[in-house]
Amino acid sequence: MTAANDIARVRGSFAYAIDFALPGMLHAVLVRSPHPHAEILAIDAAAARVDPDVVAVATADDLAGLDPWQGVVVRDQPLLAIGKVRHAGEPVAAVVARHPAAAARAAGRVVVRWRVLPPVPTIAAALAPDAPALFDQGPPQRFPKGSGAEAWREPARNVLWRFRFRTGDPEALFGRAAHVFTDTYRFPRMSHLPIEPLCAVARWDGMGAEVWCNNQDPFLLRTDLARIFSLPEASIRVHALPAGAGFGAKSYPKHEALTLLLSRLARSPVRLALTWDEMMLTLSQHAAEVTLTTAVSADGTLLARRGLLRLDGGAYADASVIVCEKGAYRSLPGPYRWQAVESVGEVVRTSTIPAGSFRGFGGPQACFAGERQIDAIARRLRLDPVEFRKRNLLRPGEEPWPGETPMDSDLEDGLAAVAGRIGWRGSRAPGRGRGVAVGMKDGGGFSRRSLAVVKLARDGSALVLSGIADLGQGPERVAAVIVSEVLGIDPARVRLAPIDTDRTPHDQGTHASVGAAMVGLAIRRAVEAVRARLIALAAEVIDEASGDVVFEAGMIRRGNVSLSVPALFDRAFGAQGSELIGEGEARNPFDAEAPLGARCGFWMPSFAAAEVSVDADTGRVAVERLVVAGDAGHALDPEGCRAQTEGGAVQGLAQALIEALVFDDEGRLANGTPLAYRMPSVLDLPREVATITLEHGLGPGPHGAKGLGEHAILAVAAAIANAVADATGAEYSTLPITPEDVAATSGSADGVQAG
Amino acid sequence: MIDQTERIAFDLDGRPVAATVATNRLLIDLLREEFGLLGVRAGCDGGVCGACTVLIDGVPATACLMLAVEVDGRRITTIRGLECADGHLHPVQRAFLEERAFQCGSCTPGMVLLASALLAENPDPDEETIRAWMSAALCRCGGGGAILRAVRRAAAVMREAR
Repeated sequence: MTAANDIARVRGSFAYAIDFALPGMLHAVLVRSPHPHAEILAIDAAAARVDPDVVAVATADDLAGLDPWQGVVVRDQPLLAIGKVRHAGEPVAAVVARHPAAAARAAGRVVVRWRVLPPVPTIAAALAPDAPALFDQGPPQRFPKGSGAEAWREPARNVLWRFRFRTGDPEALFGRAAHVFTDTYRFPRMSHLPIEPLCAVARWDGMGAEVWCNNQDPFLLRTDLARIFSLPEASIRVHALPAGAGFGAKSYPKHEALTLLLSRLARSPVRLALTWDEMMLTLSQHAAEVTLTTAVSADGTLLARRGLLRLDGGAYADASVIVCEKGAYRSLPGPYRWQAVESVGEVVRTSTIPAGSFRGFGGPQACFAGERQIDAIARRLRLDPVEFRKRNLLRPGEEPWPGETPMDSDLEDGLAAVAGRIGWRGSRAPGRGRGVAVGMKDGGGFSRRSLAVVKLARDGSALVLSGIADLGQGPERVAAVIVSEVLGIDPARVRLAPIDTDRTPHDQGTHASVGAAMVGLAIRRAVEAVRARLIALAAEVIDEASGDVVFEAGMIRRGNVSLSVPALFDRAFGAQGSELIGEGEARNPFDAEAPLGARCGFWMPSFAAAEVSVDADTGRVAVERLVVAGDAGHALDPEGCRAQTEGGAVQGLAQALIEALVFDDEGRLANGTPLAYRMPSVLDLPREVATITLEHGLGPGPHGAKGLGEHAILAVAAAIANAVADATGAEYSTLPITPEDVAATSGSADGVQAG
Repeated sequence: MIDQTERIAFDLDGRPVAATVATNRLLIDLLREEFGLLGVRAGCDGGVCGACTVLIDGVPATACLMLAVEVDGRRITTIRGLECADGHLHPVQRAFLEERAFQCGSCTPGMVLLASALLAENPDPDEETIRAWMSAALCRCGGGGAILRAVRRAAAVMREAR
């Protein structure tokens, strides 16, 4: 099936948010802080305002009367810096002008007087006893959580959040285990850099507001805008236009509210489109330090794990609280059977770029550490890494701990698939190594509700209204497959409508790989409602005493009378035509007992196997072969599953060997341009990348479908690192693994990674 | 701010066009804003991502690193110009569809143009050559493997048709 959007994409006629314009639209450019941590003494915008092309300049003074704080759970980020800045690149003012170039020129004339404060560039600096405080924090505040879990806001200086989950009796198990291993891993942060940056056009019309943007959370954004501007939600209309990818960069409200404020000040529609350089300053993945203590019995059975996932949250909360909780609770224990777990997640504030949603949502950090340690333990105990894992993986139907969603994938099958494909048991050539990893994350979000509407037209074509944002993951295709199956129509006659919060039914956002499973289920129920209406209509219209209404191959039959959809519509509604409308809903309900407020929607395992070659002289690592498998439950769009898996694998490979944001001693970004920040190209691809889409059929979606949009990034980095360890005999605890690291450790069986 | 302008004329996707442009105007802005060519995708603004790739006299170039005045008298091909007049897609475009060699599609026009330029110059490129050419643009969705498959497929189809 070729979707209409695909043809538009290869023809270059597909329109994204960045292509959107309104007549009379003005352009905004932000003035950003050069300092990581500084007090703002004064802002003098006079030289900018005198420019005849400049229409408005906004500073913190213009936030008066608003509730200008953004963030998920903790709202601590102002639309423009108020009083002080907490990271280099933080917006302190915005200039609106008739042309982008005029706005940029005027922005350069805004003069800020600063009092520079000591920076807090790293986790260690933030936790030092004499560390400067980034916020005037209140007393620690305890937040209620479900069974076995607790959370605290601001439990210590520069600590935004601490979460702890406990099940079983770890102390007893650590006390009597044959082996206990403690290892610490360090994880750098990548930049999302979707090709299309964040972009918003906003129009304030006195009574309400309209926003066109590429944010994947149009309804959360509507709620946030209503709060910030004290407007009824119903007076705010958000259009989530197709996005040129995201990877997390476009989730949760970003600069849309600021753009709306600028429109109100300028009394015109305003566009604010960030550059790539600015995207790198806006949000990043979380850097992390992960310490794992794992108890193992004499026979190689995993007993207990204690973990600390310490995330560098950067200057502001954004989504850090929930990244921390999900990473610590759902990814840190990994895919294994434990008798006891104690997981702690912590978000540390530093004066660096805010960190937030990034594909995997805390999972990549936890899985890299977890799967590196499992491999290291296998080597220390002289166990085969694949067999060691197999012995301890959760089985289908097994609860990871009491009260949590039972495992809904066959993990052993997934591991066997990738290990078999890489030739795990085969001999290794000199300088070569193989590694496997099994990553684990939840999918489907916290408690969740997705709504969908399907409208069937007289001609038998169908329109789907759903809040699933198009980031390139192919939601229109999944919708078409689901609708065409239920109605027996050509998928090419199904279209997913653009998102407009005035018309699209509510959805809690395109997160956590929910598309196929949760939104898909809502769409399935909506189209089943349409089908029921069609059948009821046929029963009413076809005056045939005998027989039930049968729906087959797009025709509706009762007894000997068979009608097409148009003929049925004509008989029922006359020549003017009409529509049949169905609604559907999918929910993952609140559960006060569940540690995170709801059981996990589904589990999203990730299986990877890598073969690398290592040049002992230069330390250069080449990934020769990569095999990655995910469980789609049921593949609604097999090519889409393949693409998600391949794409995530490339990101995982980049995480392992290539990409990392680099900061100077004061926490300023040192490689903050597209030229300086190295990204993978086709030259970095292994000769062989094999993807396997498993269909274990145990997910909550149509035919047992699950999401797999985030899986591949979970396991690939660890599999590659494990392969390098296999080749060199050294353990690697820090990413990315550079040639310098490898050259320093290569050949020493007990080698410890430098730095 | 427009201090100086210049009149330029060039061939755009097979048609002669003319424009009066500021001497500091970027080619990408001219093509997107004056000619409405969405297929010249905007990306990194620094010649790294390759989303704005166009062909100038058949040679790939990033429109974000060129001034509009530089194309005076030259032949520009954007993704729109690859299609036949009757709307039939170029074999490279078809191969990208068949291999589903895109997710968000932001890199697709540039990738398709790169591949078409390669195959026009070298109908039977080896793997190294394909990778070297296609590395001039980035697919952040990680679709490089499918893109390579699409280029190989297009090469085979085009050789067959010769």
